[in-house]
Amino acid sequence: MAGGGRPLFGEQTRFMLLLITPAALLLTLFQVVPIAIGANASFRDWALYNPKKTWVGLAHYQAVLSDPEFLWVVLPNTFIFMILSVAGALVLGLALALLLNRPFAGQKLVQTVLLVPLMVAPVIAAIMMRWMFNDQFGIVNAVLEGLGLDGQPWLVERWTAFGVIVMTDIWLWTPWYTLLLLAGLQSLPREPFEAAAIDGTSTWRVFTHLTLPMLRSVIVVCVVIRAIDAFRTFDIVWTLTGGGPGRSTELFSLYAYVLAFLTLDFGRGSAAAIIGGLIILVVGAVLYRVVDRIARA
Amino acid sequence: MAMVKEPLLFARLPLNARRVLFGLVLFAICFLFAFPVLWLILTSLRPESGVYYVHRGTEITLGNFAEVLKDDRVVEAFANSALIATLATVFSLLVTVSSGYMLSRFQGPAARTWFGTIYVFRCVPYISWVLPLYFVAQSWGLYDTYIGLLLPHIAVHICFFSWLMKGFFDGIDPSMEYAALIDGCTRWGAFIRVALPSAIPAIAALGVLCWLFTWNEFLFALILTGNRVPVITVVMAQFVTEMGMRWNLMAATAVMALLPAFVLALFGQKYVIRGLRL
Repeated sequence: MAGGGRPLFGEQTRFMLLLITPAALLLTLFQVVPIAIGANASFRDWALYNPKKTWVGLAHYQAVLSDPEFLWVVLPNTFIFMILSVAGALVLGLALALLLNRPFAGQKLVQTVLLVPLMVAPVIAAIMMRWMFNDQFGIVNAVLEGLGLDGQPWLVERWTAFGVIVMTDIWLWTPWYTLLLLAGLQSLPREPFEAAAIDGTSTWRVFTHLTLPMLRSVIVVCVVIRAIDAFRTFDIVWTLTGGGPGRSTELFSLYAYVLAFLTLDFGRGSAAAIIGGLIILVVGAVLYRVVDRIARA
Repeated sequence: MAMVKEPLLFARLPLNARRVLFGLVLFAICFLFAFPVLWLILTSLRPESGVYYVHRGTEITLGNFAEVLKDDRVVEAFANSALIATLATVFSLLVTVSSGYMLSRFQGPAARTWFGTIYVFRCVPYISWVLPLYFVAQSWGLYDTYIGLLLPHIAVHICFFSWLMKGFFDGIDPSMEYAALIDGCTRWGAFIRVALPSAIPAIAALGVLCWLFTWNEFLFALILTGNRVPVITVVMAQFVTEMGMRWNLMAATAVMALLPAFVLALFGQKYVIRGLRL
């Protein structure tokens, strides 16, 4: 500090601010500013053919919220996807974590194999599944026909395509739950389990009355984070079905992307992006409350 | 109590039978989890003529890899992805380590505000800020440039990583830092020389994950880059949508894209599992 006079902030405050300055600066430039610009665009006729960018008020929001495609296909898809993907991966991940939480020969090897999907890019996972579920040459239909069943045109019908998308996501994210829940399991105290073993408590009762309650906080964190991330899923849908057949497997992110970059209506795309952001903020807050209450009960 | 029956039945089996059953279940699970990747590898080794009946032929070739590597765009995409992932990892960790330290060591309105901010922005879907970022990038001249792809990749990790870093530092006893401060060390000295070394294992684990996230990321590159900065995920997605049916080449590209991630994860697995105890 050159010259006299008191510095603007105390020494400690300056240290605190310096610590977060780079992060805050990047966050502002690349998230806050774009969101503000997107909000501005969402109130304007921001299309290629209109250089004046006329103010249209809430028209875009009205258009999105009254679009039957958005209300009856995209939103239900997004929420069904979120619930199935989170629940499926949680149950599978928990089962695998319990399996791995006992010593056996080759445990390390099994653990490494189970963590494989964690390293696979969603785009690659989607390409793999698309190839396996190919209706003419895919291995899934080949196996089905080998068993004397009929092959299905998996990616050509809405609900089978949706099922493949959900399955891909569960495959991708189960290891993540396994990893975190296994870490949680291994940090649990031993004594209650030893006491239960002496009392001859059944395995199922030990699980519901001891393991689950003690794992609650880890499960809460996993579910909230994953649910929020599942809401923004884009890569696997884009690569697997591109939202098709028709637009029947579109999720929210894809809907906004299509509006902005394929229909080239940036205004309405921005409005959709903001509506989705608001929905997930509300959902995230509610989810946090609900799961937190379950965790404390 | 219907559920009790099953463990009992299992327990009544002789020990050897139990071992075999357990082994079989494990094998089945591992097989299901590894199958898509194994299938991809097998497809990548099949010649063009055999690709449609992967499960029948026995012909094996490395020709697909050679052919893919002849494509300059694919090679460039690999180099770009590796460069962006490495730089993004270094800078993300640098930026968030101090932010996480601040969250862990200070209470009060400033820390609470910052924590609230990163919590809210952690929830915002990528599309909600990357979509308008497209205009921003264009008007700042950052569209389809390295820096224009790198900076958002750093920004996206700020919230989650600050939060994780806070957890790392929460697990480290601050009394050593107080002792250092009393001994005349500056605050920066206490942070960098006393607290930071203890957090290094956890930070290394996060570095592995960060590299993987960035290498695997797709949406940012799809929106923020065009032809000048191809990255591997986008090139592969274009394979699917444009070239359509050349599955053997696509599989070869995908296998090569998996390799660095596998190598990294194989060596980093120990640190990741140890470092990420929540």
